[in-house]
Amino acid sequence: MYSWIIENKELLKIFYGLIIALICFVIVLKTNKLFRLSLHKGIRYFRNAFFFYGIAFIIRYLFGAFFLDNPNYYFVINILFEYFLVMGGFFLLYSLLWKRFESSKTNYNSSLFNTKIFLFYFMSFIIVFLDYIWQTYYFMFSSQIIIFVLASVISYINYKKNGRQHKFLKLYFIAMILSLITWVLNFLVASFLDWNKGVLTNVYLINIVIFLLFLYGVIKVTGGK
Amino acid sequence: MARKRERLDVIRDILKAVRENRKIKPTRLLYASNLSPQMFKEYINELTSKGFIKLDIDKKDKKMFCITPRGNEFLEEYKVIENFIENFGL
Repeated sequence: MYSWIIENKELLKIFYGLIIALICFVIVLKTNKLFRLSLHKGIRYFRNAFFFYGIAFIIRYLFGAFFLDNPNYYFVINILFEYFLVMGGFFLLYSLLWKRFESSKTNYNSSLFNTKIFLFYFMSFIIVFLDYIWQTYYFMFSSQIIIFVLASVISYINYKKNGRQHKFLKLYFIAMILSLITWVLNFLVASFLDWNKGVLTNVYLINIVIFLLFLYGVIKVTGGK
Repeated sequence: MARKRERLDVIRDILKAVRENRKIKPTRLLYASNLSPQMFKEYINELTSKGFIKLDIDKKDKKMFCITPRGNEFLEEYKVIENFIENFGL
């Protein structure tokens, strides 16, 4: 089984990217409908997070598959992947935090740009730039570990506060913990395990579980409409 | 003690009042919304700019609010939106 996975890893990566991109597409579609009606900022940032995750996975695993033999293109693909992945993390965290920083009444002309979230674009750029300069992924790993530690704490507080009435808060907290675990594993694999394929396969599987958890929550709450 | 109405609750209450009356005068809507005049003005501006309600002027030159199809759609989906926000901690 393991050797089969290794033999077909490029094909499986495409399949993996396709699954996550599809999940993101459904989540964006469903949350976009709720956002268009309510113009609620939390929904907007949540939707944006999965929009950027979707783009990241499409670029890395679907477009990336065509440029495996061309290091120049593959390098650009990796930079874009990292940039959109970091952006997704920022938006997901901010969807939990936005009430502390802005009023629900402020209206913005654009859904993806405003003066507040411009900071995310800038920070993501800095993170990608630093990784590029040092030829590492550590700035991305560190930023994502920090983001998901914070998101885990906030989602735990939300779960403790309202978990009895709103059942998905528990799964949300679990998804945040799993995300944190995958980023820590990514960091360990890159730092000490020489990109061990067995551990990486587990990271991919956990990632699918995380995205499926979100999809389950979105479909359950929106009633599959 | 009753909990403070959230923004979406206020929007729902205003839209419900407009829908139930089909057409409603601004002063009557102010009483029905249970808001201060200042807050009421802010919400009404928001709801008209989002296209949830519109201000009609009838034959006697009286101003009346009425609900739009978009406002109706919001009321139908209100529970889903509220559930979503609370279940995802948004």
